[in-house]
Amino acid sequence: MEQAPRDPERQLQPAPLEPLGHPDAGLQAAVGEEAEGARDEGSGEGTMTENNFWLKKIEISVSEAEKRTGRNAMNMQETYTAYLIETRSVEHTDGQSVLTDSLWRRYSEFELLRNYLLVYYPHIVVPPLPEKRAEFVWHKLSADNMDPDFVERRRIGLENFLLRVASHPILCRDKIFYLFLTQEGNWKETVNETGFQLKADSRLKALNATFRVKNPDKRFTELKHYSDELQSVISHLLRVRARVADRLYGVYKVHGNYGRVFSEWSAIEKEMGDGLQSAGHHMDVYASSIDDILEDEEHYADQLKEYLFYAEALRAVCRKHELMQYDLEMAAQDLASKKQQCEELATGTVRTFSLKGMTTKLFGQETPEQREARIKVLEEQISEGEQQLKSKNLEGREFVKNAWADIERFKEQKNHDLKEALISYAVMQISMCKKGIQVWTNAKECFSKM
Amino acid sequence: MSGGPPKGLPSTGPHSLLDMPHPLAGSSSEEAVGGDSTPSPDLLMARSFGDKDLILPNGGTPAGTSSPASSSSLLNRLQLDDDIDGETRDLFVTVDDPKKHVCTMETYITYRITTKSTRVEFDLPEYSVRRRYQDFDWLRNKLEESQPTHLIPPLPEKFVVKGVVDRFSEEFVETRRKALDKFLKRITDHPVLSFNEHFNVFLTAKDLNAYKKQGMALLTRVGESVKHVTGGYKLRSRPLEFAAVGDYLDTFALKLGTIDRIAQRIIKEEIEYLVELREYGPVYSTWSALEGELTEPLEGVSACIGNCSTALEELTDDMTEDFLPVLREYILYSDSMKSVLKKRDQVQAEYEAKLEAVALRKEDRPKVPADVERCQDRMECFNADLKADMERWQNNKRQDFRQLLVGMADKNIQYYEKCLMAWESIIPLLQEKQEAK
Repeated sequence: MEQAPRDPERQLQPAPLEPLGHPDAGLQAAVGEEAEGARDEGSGEGTMTENNFWLKKIEISVSEAEKRTGRNAMNMQETYTAYLIETRSVEHTDGQSVLTDSLWRRYSEFELLRNYLLVYYPHIVVPPLPEKRAEFVWHKLSADNMDPDFVERRRIGLENFLLRVASHPILCRDKIFYLFLTQEGNWKETVNETGFQLKADSRLKALNATFRVKNPDKRFTELKHYSDELQSVISHLLRVRARVADRLYGVYKVHGNYGRVFSEWSAIEKEMGDGLQSAGHHMDVYASSIDDILEDEEHYADQLKEYLFYAEALRAVCRKHELMQYDLEMAAQDLASKKQQCEELATGTVRTFSLKGMTTKLFGQETPEQREARIKVLEEQISEGEQQLKSKNLEGREFVKNAWADIERFKEQKNHDLKEALISYAVMQISMCKKGIQVWTNAKECFSKM
Repeated sequence: MSGGPPKGLPSTGPHSLLDMPHPLAGSSSEEAVGGDSTPSPDLLMARSFGDKDLILPNGGTPAGTSSPASSSSLLNRLQLDDDIDGETRDLFVTVDDPKKHVCTMETYITYRITTKSTRVEFDLPEYSVRRRYQDFDWLRNKLEESQPTHLIPPLPEKFVVKGVVDRFSEEFVETRRKALDKFLKRITDHPVLSFNEHFNVFLTAKDLNAYKKQGMALLTRVGESVKHVTGGYKLRSRPLEFAAVGDYLDTFALKLGTIDRIAQRIIKEEIEYLVELREYGPVYSTWSALEGELTEPLEGVSACIGNCSTALEELTDDMTEDFLPVLREYILYSDSMKSVLKKRDQVQAEYEAKLEAVALRKEDRPKVPADVERCQDRMECFNADLKADMERWQNNKRQDFRQLLVGMADKNIQYYEKCLMAWESIIPLLQEKQEAK
């Protein structure tokens, strides 16, 4: 069983993948047929290498959500929702799937997993989680986290997250991810033992810091700019869409009033009565049809939201590059100044102002021995610095290479997914129009019989 | 505003009656609005019959065609198809060509009234005159006066709140024109009202104001006598049919009022929906500018939403212009009906009172005095006239509402069909490069 090769550019080396009691459990997961939502995760195929063909496919699903009560860190009672994650392995030969693992996780554990991945794979555009709190709601939708519709949409979103990770060529090999799916107890502790929390804090700080990079890779600068714009435009779109949904709801529902008044009116009419009455019924049908229509549209909104959050992940990768580049530039600058200092000491010329130099001038020269000592120290530092710079340079280039590869992969995925989303949105609109035509045609027939 | 020469006629082949202007139409200063161009014959026909290819042999009934049209022009066509008393139609009246007149004292609109008839009561086969709203109002009052036992169709509302409604806007003028046209057509349809001499004068006189000043037109015997019925008599018992109609009208008016409110609310909601759509579509455009491969799909979606917005705007405009006014007219119509019913009640009450007085006075005299007989006459005439009108009204109401509601359904179907077409047409665009992969 091959181990995943170490990625040299990773700053931290998570434990390489080891089979844990499942002799044939390679984690070359491909997306299962139970994938929720209209997403095509075909890229999972690419993770199969030739030697892994004997490894089984894995299906992952978040199949249930359950309300639980427990005690939190401060020993206060809280209510939360737990999600059941089931993993199945699929036999190559007969396509049958066997349940291999099943455990319950809550949203905060998903968050923990993602934060871990963000720290250990800074060059990867890490798939986002569904939103923590309902945003961009239109008035009928509840903003309550316990609302069953919200929970259901979150369940789908969490499953989607796992499938995205499982089908990512690099992330799917991660041991912590594997344990997330298979080891219910103690998983949190295992994650924390990696010591990632410290790195997580410094990462967050760095992401938010302002600094000026002199020579970033222009592609990343452009990409960061793009991700900002994308976030802005998708947010705007989601906000307006919610308002559109609100208004559309109003239009349909008011038609329901026709149902009632036509019925009342038909009571005083002789020949017109039947036509009016049955037309009124169709108006009721029309009014109630909007509920399902808008429910379907929420799915579209969720697809957009995923990419809203993906934009953030994309931005993070760009920032990471900027950070590394800045670090590199600082190191180079520091090295250059040390070299210069060294040179000045060696030649006796003072080109740069230094307090030491001034005081030496004022209070007397240092001895040649002192000077020698200082030069020696500097030379050591310079040598060390040159090594560091070399490795930083290497790291930087590796990062750029690997990050860009993942970015290309992400771009393809994004274009594909969003196109699919637009198609499904158009299909929804077509269905809505057809329903409208049907209802009004029925009503028209009733009217014409008046 | 001197009269201009009449427009050139299409010279050969069979052409519509409407193409031929009245020989006197162009020369009078009252009705001509010279200098302004009259609309082309095609436009004329399209306005009143909703079909450009209609050709009318002299005095014939226009054949209905099946092109989609606004509910009121459909209504016009339907009413023209309605045979009165089994006879073929011999009187056609149309209202069109609104024009604004600006004078020192006031600004107002006139409408062209075109009449074609083979009736002996008309000296000429065709007439074309111009009238303004107050002329219609005058006509209606005259009709009510001279034919009190009949139901007179309603006019669109007289007063409009200045500042809220622009009474010179195209939409308002067009809505009013349609209502005035319907008003005249309803009179035309009526076997008694259409022969009323005030109506005749209204359709034919070059100088209506002079006639108005004359004041004393001939009144029918019944009209004269009914005019002098005083109120204050208490009714014993209303005949069943009139009582039933009274109750019916009360509920009917209520329901219409509710429908009017619902329709207004729907339009309001649709307009608010439209406002949001108009912001929604362009966001996709903004997004498409950021993208590469997704540029065309996103731009396509943006255009699609734009098309749907336009379709929605057309729907709300249609509903406002065609649906609401007809509803309101029927509320006015039922009010007219109710006041005629009241008058009838009064006539009956007077008769009953007089009868009772006679009975109390002279128990042994079998002969009934002449004036009581006259009252009875009056009452029975009234009842007969009103019954006939009520039946007519019920039939027309049924047709009118059928047309109105079918029209409403049609408009909504058309709206959805436009949207459907827009969305279906971008599916191939969205799917395009997928297959190429």
